[in-house]
Amino acid sequence: MTPTLLGRWQTRILLMETVGLVVTLLFSGGILGSPESAIFLWLLQYIVVFGLGWDYVYIQIQTFRWDQDWPAALQWLAALWEGVFIVLLIEIVGVKLPGTAEDWHLGWFIVHYSFVWIAVFVTSQSLMRLIFPRWRFRGGQWL
Amino acid sequence: MSTIPGQVRLSWQDPVTGEQRSPLLTCPIAFGREFARMPAELNNHRVARIVLNSSQVSRYHTLIEWVQGHIRVTDQNSSNGTWVNGVLQPSCNVSNGDLLKIGPYEITLMFTLDGTGLPTAEASEQSIIQVPEPDSPVPAEPAAAPANVLPPACQAHQVVVQDLYATQLPVEEIDYLAVGAGLGSFIWVDFLRIFGAAPQQIRALGIENRPYARYQRLCLNSQIPPHERLRSNSDSCPDNIWGWPGYALREAWHEFNKGKLNPALQYLWQVFAEPTFAQTYTPRAGNVFASIDREAVRIGWPQIYQFGRVRAIRQTHDGRYAIAYSPGRKQTAFVVARYVHLATGYPVLQFLPDLKAYREQTRDFKSVVNAYEDHNHVYETLERQGGTVVLRGRGIVASRIIQRIHEARHRNSNIAILHLMRSPKPKGNRFRKAQRPVDNHFEFQPFNWPKACWGGTLRDELEQATPEQRTNLLADWGGTTTADRKDWKEIVQQGLDQGWYQITFGEVTRVVPNAQSRPTTYIQEKGPRGEIKLEADFIIDATGLDSKVKASPLLNDLVTHYNLPLNPAGRLAVANDFELLEMRNQNGRMYGAGAITFGGPYAAVDSFLGLQYTALRAVDGLVAARAPNLRRLNGIGSLLQWLKWAQNQAP
Ligand SMILES: Cc1cc2nc3c(=O)[nH]c(=O)nc-3n(C[C@H](O)[C@H](O)[C@H](O)COP(=O)(O)OP(=O)(O)OC[C@H]3O[C@@H](n4cnc5c(N)ncnc54)[C@H](O)[C@@H]3O)c2cc1C
Repeated sequence: MTPTLLGRWQTRILLMETVGLVVTLLFSGGILGSPESAIFLWLLQYIVVFGLGWDYVYIQIQTFRWDQDWPAALQWLAALWEGVFIVLLIEIVGVKLPGTAEDWHLGWFIVHYSFVWIAVFVTSQSLMRLIFPRWRFRGGQWL
Repeated sequence: MSTIPGQVRLSWQDPVTGEQRSPLLTCPIAFGREFARMPAELNNHRVARIVLNSSQVSRYHTLIEWVQGHIRVTDQNSSNGTWVNGVLQPSCNVSNGDLLKIGPYEITLMFTLDGTGLPTAEASEQSIIQVPEPDSPVPAEPAAAPANVLPPACQAHQVVVQDLYATQLPVEEIDYLAVGAGLGSFIWVDFLRIFGAAPQQIRALGIENRPYARYQRLCLNSQIPPHERLRSNSDSCPDNIWGWPGYALREAWHEFNKGKLNPALQYLWQVFAEPTFAQTYTPRAGNVFASIDREAVRIGWPQIYQFGRVRAIRQTHDGRYAIAYSPGRKQTAFVVARYVHLATGYPVLQFLPDLKAYREQTRDFKSVVNAYEDHNHVYETLERQGGTVVLRGRGIVASRIIQRIHEARHRNSNIAILHLMRSPKPKGNRFRKAQRPVDNHFEFQPFNWPKACWGGTLRDELEQATPEQRTNLLADWGGTTTADRKDWKEIVQQGLDQGWYQITFGEVTRVVPNAQSRPTTYIQEKGPRGEIKLEADFIIDATGLDSKVKASPLLNDLVTHYNLPLNPAGRLAVANDFELLEMRNQNGRMYGAGAITFGGPYAAVDSFLGLQYTALRAVDGLVAARAPNLRRLNGIGSLLQWLKWAQNQAP
């Protein structure tokens, strides 16, 4: 992938709020065995909002790479970091993010986050290209 | 030969186009990015001002002067400095053969202090040969011939269609016409078909029925057999406009079905981790050709393709274009179309001037060859009787040739390579915060441009830049590179260690036959050794292809007839959607694609993925111009078309 900043933002928002949302509803509805709770929906929004900031950081890192690219492997490392960041905020720093005060459970967060991320990644590697034939030439911009 | 003291022969390879430049100039000589910032005169001497396009070059960067019997180089407080033989120098005297580095430009200086005996070199423009072609009933025109095969009706600025019918020659009227019928044409037609055009609306004129015929021949000649891997991305798929599934996934699936799990996983890992944690995946040539064959049948290419050598292109008075072509020897026919696409590929091969001169003087076309010509006899002879090869150029083709000779050494270990390079390459190009990696004087990059040129930040930046900024950016990103392949690096290291592969640096002064009629290369080394002599059985020129518009009789005629602008690289000037705006004719539109548009809004025009990008922009432009039967492809419509592709149904 060779994303642009706008492309990162657009793709993140679109995929998280569609594919990511569907997966999240499975969790918040308790269908996959998790406690029925709105916290998953809140967490999804935090992943999106913090991610918009992280995308800016990634674009800066990308400029050090000769190909100005972002391999899938780096996408995974970034995803790992974003998950760890939220855990750090809540568990270690103890920040009280609105909506996360109740029902926070580290184990379920890891499962939920992994499912969301894998669904988003797989979609971005396949369906996204089929629905938006210009997407790959525009650094991830679909609008 | 010159006799004026203070005359210097500069020689460098243009990082944008790869062309060889070697002007003979008299001091003082100034270098910089802006012509107007360099002095016009110094001490009553007219200054020869050389513009070097790159953001690494300052507006006025360096001055070369003739001072008290010496040639002196002085940096003009530039931001990135002037380097002489790899050392940063504010000011110093230079000697014959020294290497001056200014940004991405590496310039060899050749002179004699009394001004005599300076090597002469030809202008690079003449130093070309034709791209090898199959035996054809309709020969190519000699490069200089005007389109004199045409009836007088075609000499007008705008021809009247009735006049064409009046010639009694065959005339066909059609909506869409692709000129070339190579890969660029095929990809454009693929988009047209998927966007809604019917096969009866489209014609592709060319001299070979398989769209990859010429490309395949150049691959085979430059030592890429079908099982070898190309230099392109997994999702650069000329058979699939979405790039999914890519070749890696397909190859993995294929191996998996054969029960081979290991290679399958390896391909998937490669596309996942490349280029940082794994070697870049590239598809096998044979697989790419097979996939194009399938897509060609699916979109009705056999019905669309027609044999014909295109001779001339004219506007018609009714907002279309008339294309005159030869369907057979001494025959002429016309196609009249409203939407025309030009993708004629490389017109000629670049050939080093000293090698071309050798061939012309000796008529020996066997010992000195171009890597893109059929030169299998070289390897066959080497395998039989051993020998030495001088290799020129250090791009991907040079790597392939080293690999091929390494294979030949399994049959006969008495084979050696002298790799002749103009200058050492201790460090790679820089662009802002990034730098290209180097090993053993080879500069590495997965593809022929940095990846983001296809669809990332660099594509964006180039498109938005002014023509002058574009040239700067292309110089920064360009230059000769090869792929970072583990096997190639090992072969080079092994060859260096065992001594059968050697690298020599220097500027070639001449190539002449020795007493045994073997080609002997004389090179100017810097330092005390001066001139040295390399004897070889073969010389292979792997320096490249040339796509200047003037080299193609067809394009040259078009450009002259309609006074079309060229871009700074000497190729067709196109808009961001690749339209030749100056050819617009009422509702008629003309587009260009491939190497003939290089130097404009997009760097990677000459690649599968670049051709797809170009075709997408052009066909989107046609949709906006309400061309018949085309609908914008997006969303569900796009997905449905992909499903047809997956099931191998016509679009
Ligand atoms: C050795 C080599 C390896 C390459 N490897 C890769 C790679 O791995 N990946 C990648 O993405 N790109 C690669 N490329 C670059 C690029 O994809 C190919 O060059 C591609 O073939 C370009 O397509 P084209 O349509 O511009 O030219 P071509 O495919 O050459 O087609 C042009 C056609 O126009 C015809 N033509 C020209 N003039 C006339 C006329 N007057 N009348 C009728 N017909 C005419 C020619 O006969 C030719 O068939 C490679 C190029 C070369 C040379």
